Amino acid sequence: MNARWWRAGVALALTLPGATPAAAHLMNSGFGPFYDGLAHPLLSPEDLLPAIAIALLAGLRGARAGRLALATLPLAWLAGMVAGWTMGLPPLPPRFNAMLTVAVGALVASDQRLPLAAVTALTAALGALHGYANGYDLAGASGALLGMLGIASSLFAVVSLLAGQAAVVQAEWARLAVRISGSWIAAIGMLMFGWSFRT
Amino acid sequence: MTRRRRGAGWLISACVCLCALIGCAVTALADEIRPAYLELRETAPGEFNVLWQTPMVGEVRLALEPEFSGETALLAPVISQTNGTGPAQTSIQTWRLGAPQLRGQTLRIRGLENTVTDVLTRIQFLDGTVAINVLQPSAPTLVIPERQTALMLARNYIVFGIQHIWFGADHLLFVLGLLLIVGDRWTLVKTITSFTVAHSITLAVATLGFAHPAVEPLNAAIALSILFLGPEIARTWRGETSLTISRPWLIAFLFGLLHGFGFAGALTGAGLPRPDLAVALLTFNIGVEIGQIAFVLLVVALERSFRQLEISWPAALARAPGYLVGGAGAFWTFQRAAILLGVMQ
Repeated sequence: MNARWWRAGVALALTLPGATPAAAHLMNSGFGPFYDGLAHPLLSPEDLLPAIAIALLAGLRGARAGRLALATLPLAWLAGMVAGWTMGLPPLPPRFNAMLTVAVGALVASDQRLPLAAVTALTAALGALHGYANGYDLAGASGALLGMLGIASSLFAVVSLLAGQAAVVQAEWARLAVRISGSWIAAIGMLMFGWSFRT
Repeated sequence: MTRRRRGAGWLISACVCLCALIGCAVTALADEIRPAYLELRETAPGEFNVLWQTPMVGEVRLALEPEFSGETALLAPVISQTNGTGPAQTSIQTWRLGAPQLRGQTLRIRGLENTVTDVLTRIQFLDGTVAINVLQPSAPTLVIPERQTALMLARNYIVFGIQHIWFGADHLLFVLGLLLIVGDRWTLVKTITSFTVAHSITLAVATLGFAHPAVEPLNAAIALSILFLGPEIARTWRGETSLTISRPWLIAFLFGLLHGFGFAGALTGAGLPRPDLAVALLTFNIGVEIGQIAFVLLVVALERSFRQLEISWPAALARAPGYLVGGAGAFWTFQRAAILLGVMQ
């Protein structure tokens, strides 16, 4: 137990300096909206962590689940962004997405053998919810569509790289390492959940 | 149709849509970068000679204007002239500016956010200190620094180099074409190294002023180099061989010489003064290499992931990148040949 708290503390120390406000707009890479979109998931822990968790969860279920996640997450995220951008209704509070991150991280940590349909449905729901929040933040921004394409492209690469790697994990220690990263994500998600009550 | 086939069809459709969307984005970003250049040289305390060079589209100067946040005054009227012809044509304006305290002021390029070009700025003060920066459409302002270190200068040019290759879809497509031809990792290393060495040579030659290839034929030749790879990629699909397939590093070297002249256009087109060329050349090239290596690593890693996920692309989709290289090469070749022949601007 102590080891897990120690890991959570280290993760917090590593993550907090790079944290941005939950309602932040696209970061400015200086390269234009498409590249801003590419960089956004990579530099936004609240979006990157659940994407990593769902990629690992799908990868642990095998290549087929990984393939479905690869197709589902970017498209659901993109659909959510378009909805958030056009509808204008406020998204769910950040603490809800934080709890979703905790749940998916915990599923990875416990190596739950969920049915393929459940993994895909969870992927779609997570993508749509986070995408909606991104799209809502993008409302009124110039180059929003290019930014959305950048975000979806970035997620495609993240899911491809991580799900592919997790899908071929055979050694017990390597599978354990993937599960440990799931526990870290769950722990950071808990911290984000608590942090969301601060404001 | 079985559930498995339906699932695969859905996945393929999704991937096709995503690739098409990404393609649209890349097309949107594929415009040629011709930077503007703003130089302020302090000749007496608080008095600056200003050189403002902007690209022209046809007979029209890009609507870009430098603005300062603090106290400035026009000491001598603006003199305008044009330089060069065709795509290389630029507008040059000079005037004298009075600014008792320029350091700390915010420089803004009005209208830059509506373009895809960059503005290189160089401010030389009377005490010999020089501040060089790159302003971009998404960041069109600059706080003129009290003092710019060599590290800050290098960083600016490295970012400019990375930006140049990531925005230059033609260069990236050529590298992608090479990646589609090479068969193994050792050949990949040799090919990318050849391309890097070759474009570094001509980048240096052009930037240091030893050669000045005309812009129109150069752009057409670069497009032709991409088109050239299309049929070679198709040969690999048919299991055939050729000089390009057996020795891609040789072709990468030869065409890399052309692309280096293209990279140089970003620096020499801005008309940088000679004292800055060495550091600009070195750090800009480092930026180009960082951007290129990042792209190569990403493509190789993605290809590996697709194998790990056991994605069996249908032949048409698996060949789409090859068609993209050949198709874009053909389009740019016709377009740039038409510009070269004066059929279009």
